[in-house]
Amino acid sequence: MRYKRVKEFLLLWIPIALWLTFVLFPYVWMFLTSLKEPSELYTSPIQYLPKKPTFAGYKLLMETTKFPQFILNSLLVVGGTLLVTGTVSTAAAYCFSRFDFRGKGKLFGMFLVTQMFPSVLLVFSLFLIMRTLGLLNTRLALIVAHSTFALPFTTWLLTGFFNSIPKSLDEAATIDGATRWQTFWYVLAPLSAPGVVAALTYVFIYSWNEFIYALTFTSSIDMRTVPVGLNTFMGEYIIRWDLLTAGGVITAIPIVIFFMLVQRRLVQGLTAGAVKG
Amino acid sequence: MLRRLNEKERFTPFLLLGPALLLMLLIVAYPLFQALRLSLFDASLLRPDRARFVGLTNYLNVLRDPLFLRSLLNSTIWVVGCVTLQFTIGMLGALLLNREFPGRGLVRGLSLIPWATSGVLVSLMWTWMLDGNYGVINDILVRLGLISQYRPWLALPISLGGVIAANVWQGAPFFAVMLLAAMQSVPQELYEAARIDGAGRFQQFRSVTIPLIMPTIVITTMLRIVWTANYMDLVFVMTGGGPGNASIILPVLSYITAYKKLKVGEATAMAVLQAILLIITLFVYLRLVNRKGEGGLSLYEV
Amino acid sequence: MRKSSVALTVVALVLFLLASTAAAKTRVTYWLWLDDPTDTTVQELVEEFNRLHPDIEVVTETIPLANYYDQLLMAISGGGGPDAARFKDWWLGAFYDADLLEDLSPYIANWPGADDVVPNLWNTGMIPGVDGIFMLPHQYITFYLYYRADWFAEAGLNPPRTFDEFLEAALKLTDPANNRYGFGLRGGAGGQDQWLAFMVAGGARIVDEAGNIVINSPKAVEVNQWYIDLYRKHQVAPPSAPTDAYAQVVGAFQAGNTAMMAHHVGSSVMMTDVFGDNVGVLPIPAADPENPATMGTMSGNVVFSTADVKDAAFKFISWLSEHEAMDKWSKSRQGQLPVLQSVAEQDYYTQNEFFRVSLEGGNYAIVWPPLPGTGYVASYVWQNTMQRALLGEITSQQMLDEIAKALREGN
Repeated sequence: MRYKRVKEFLLLWIPIALWLTFVLFPYVWMFLTSLKEPSELYTSPIQYLPKKPTFAGYKLLMETTKFPQFILNSLLVVGGTLLVTGTVSTAAAYCFSRFDFRGKGKLFGMFLVTQMFPSVLLVFSLFLIMRTLGLLNTRLALIVAHSTFALPFTTWLLTGFFNSIPKSLDEAATIDGATRWQTFWYVLAPLSAPGVVAALTYVFIYSWNEFIYALTFTSSIDMRTVPVGLNTFMGEYIIRWDLLTAGGVITAIPIVIFFMLVQRRLVQGLTAGAVKG
Repeated sequence: MLRRLNEKERFTPFLLLGPALLLMLLIVAYPLFQALRLSLFDASLLRPDRARFVGLTNYLNVLRDPLFLRSLLNSTIWVVGCVTLQFTIGMLGALLLNREFPGRGLVRGLSLIPWATSGVLVSLMWTWMLDGNYGVINDILVRLGLISQYRPWLALPISLGGVIAANVWQGAPFFAVMLLAAMQSVPQELYEAARIDGAGRFQQFRSVTIPLIMPTIVITTMLRIVWTANYMDLVFVMTGGGPGNASIILPVLSYITAYKKLKVGEATAMAVLQAILLIITLFVYLRLVNRKGEGGLSLYEV
Repeated sequence: MRKSSVALTVVALVLFLLASTAAAKTRVTYWLWLDDPTDTTVQELVEEFNRLHPDIEVVTETIPLANYYDQLLMAISGGGGPDAARFKDWWLGAFYDADLLEDLSPYIANWPGADDVVPNLWNTGMIPGVDGIFMLPHQYITFYLYYRADWFAEAGLNPPRTFDEFLEAALKLTDPANNRYGFGLRGGAGGQDQWLAFMVAGGARIVDEAGNIVINSPKAVEVNQWYIDLYRKHQVAPPSAPTDAYAQVVGAFQAGNTAMMAHHVGSSVMMTDVFGDNVGVLPIPAADPENPATMGTMSGNVVFSTADVKDAAFKFISWLSEHEAMDKWSKSRQGQLPVLQSVAEQDYYTQNEFFRVSLEGGNYAIVWPPLPGTGYVASYVWQNTMQRALLGEITSQQMLDEIAKALREGN
């Protein structure tokens, strides 16, 4: 009994502790940094814990900068991107999974090939397109760009997922007189919820973090997203570590909540989708 | 069985694919075509309207540039280093998260955080932790007795290693989650059968888990190779390619060529060459994997 | 899908209608970077300008400095750029070459504030051999040297006035075992300014009187070698020097790891907060004390030739350079040295040692000349070649040859 306990400790809990240290340490360090007075940042030897923890950085960030606006913008862009990518890629994946047509394989391959090109190649032409469409300095421009670049991976994920749902279910529904839409909505959709969660998690992460398009297509401070907004805290002669670290910690909060909520479904969704390719 | 299309449904696939295709054409295909065109011109970013057609000159210049070759070498180290380490650590994480223990949901949720951290923030955190004078990593390594004095990691010729560390942190959870998902789909009966045959933990892993999750391994590594090759945020913020050219990678070089040197035609040629090399690499990779007979890759066979 | 796109279209339409009803005023778009994002001075100034000028509406857009030049390039060449912008002297050459800058001299001729500008600062907006002024001076800095007065007193050292004294003091105060170094050399981002300060103080020049590039002359190679040797041979700079940027250099000085660092008034308030009387300020030491020199750099304002509302744009940027706005900006946390005599004469500047040394430096400061490649050198080539020289991959001569070539050809 005791031997088993020791073994469990050594082979399970120690690796878990190591894993969590690996995953969380940079955030813990950033959090500690955010609580320090500026004079405590540069000390030798290094000081691990703040002497007098201060939340001044957080207060300044929320009250004197546009950070709340950056978060709102990011949430709006992410929300819009989830909506657009969700619908567009579900339709595309359903089509790849349930229809047979000429050139399907090639078309699917082309989807993935679009991921090969560095953004520096496309960003200048895209800037001109956005200007022509009158979308510069709008969140819509970011929603359009993020949706497009997130599409290939989500479509691939969802296609795999739909493929894992037996087609005999559709057929049974059709025989019962259901239309294609009804079949999708009442048969496939409920079964594919975990797959959609998995795909949307990826979209969330991509859009929440994307930098170069967010930087290029917006110029007004009121349209900035979080990653670009954080960059404005680095001036020519001043780097506001207090604001940057506080901003980093705050940014993590919605993500942690989101993950706590979806992690079970996420794994389920990937389980069914990923393996089938 | 796929259902046969009747007259009424003939256009349904195109209706369903329409929005996706439209976005792809507008946002990817058209700019790509423009970029290919631009790569044949001697164009300044400040006055693209004064561009001059030069044929393949840009490509020849790029291929002759020692800095391009240096960046190519660094890019190879960058991609191989990042993907291998991310995969290894991600696999260990997945094996761990696949076990039953109280609080597993919480640990799984927390595990995803690095993946969801923006590149800008990752760069700042790691630059700060790797700092030569006040970096906590130096302090920990000295306390562990691994180094005798602080090292300015990002100022050394091996600075790319520091950036790789940051990227491994950011990217390992992606593998952990994807591999975990694949492991969950392996039927428990197979493990029981293997146990009855006398297979140990490691043998079960090698002969049951690995073959069954192979398709996921192939696809995720492939995606990761592509993303890592094109990912420049970390290198750009953490070292800017330096010190000197120690950590310059291809996307950073094309960025500098376009936005600092203002030679946008040359920069585009570089990016096109990079994309071609990447496609060739993936092609060879898929060939190798499929030849081993384990891939069963149905990427194009939906 | 359908519902969401309809909703988006409606939203876009409403926004468009709202925007078009407000367009009765002349709208000027102005780009800037902020040094301190928590400071609201600029916002207040813009609001005041808009209140005083009911026919003009200035809209500001803040771009992170690290991406400022890139984004400005793209916006201007793509046609969605601002009418006027905060601008560095580094970028004048390339933008002038591309015919993107409006000559401001006709406007300045009718601007009453022009007489108040310190006369020799007009140079910073001019292109050699070209008739015209392309950037309106606004805020500038000159480099000086901070030193730890307490350490110098302890070691019985006099504050250094010459290169030799500087090196001697740096050597004496360096003690790697205790992680203490003589000088915070900045080889990373932005280090070109303090480098140029030492180069010109050593007698090197980027261009000669006739406008020829002489940055790779034997004299310049010698001074550059001296600078490189601070790190490579004498090792009076921290090991992290090749990549140290402002944050690292100022951090090391604050933590007591370096005895001297080069910077400007922008950091003086923070320095006195941290050190009180223990920090001293000196002009950049010179190779020949009879011929002092330092580097200065101007952050001015430009109007683009692509702008439709040049008159209103100039009205705004010239208003920023008038007494009251200048006074307010210069004393804020964004503040540098004011370019107006009437502001610089105030006790606030003359009674403060940091400002005094800075303004004195203005008498002999040398700026980056507006060559086609100055922006490229300042934003990339200098850092790249300096780091390679510090790592011993290239020689002083090779480094300066590369810089000279980039300055000349613009690429």
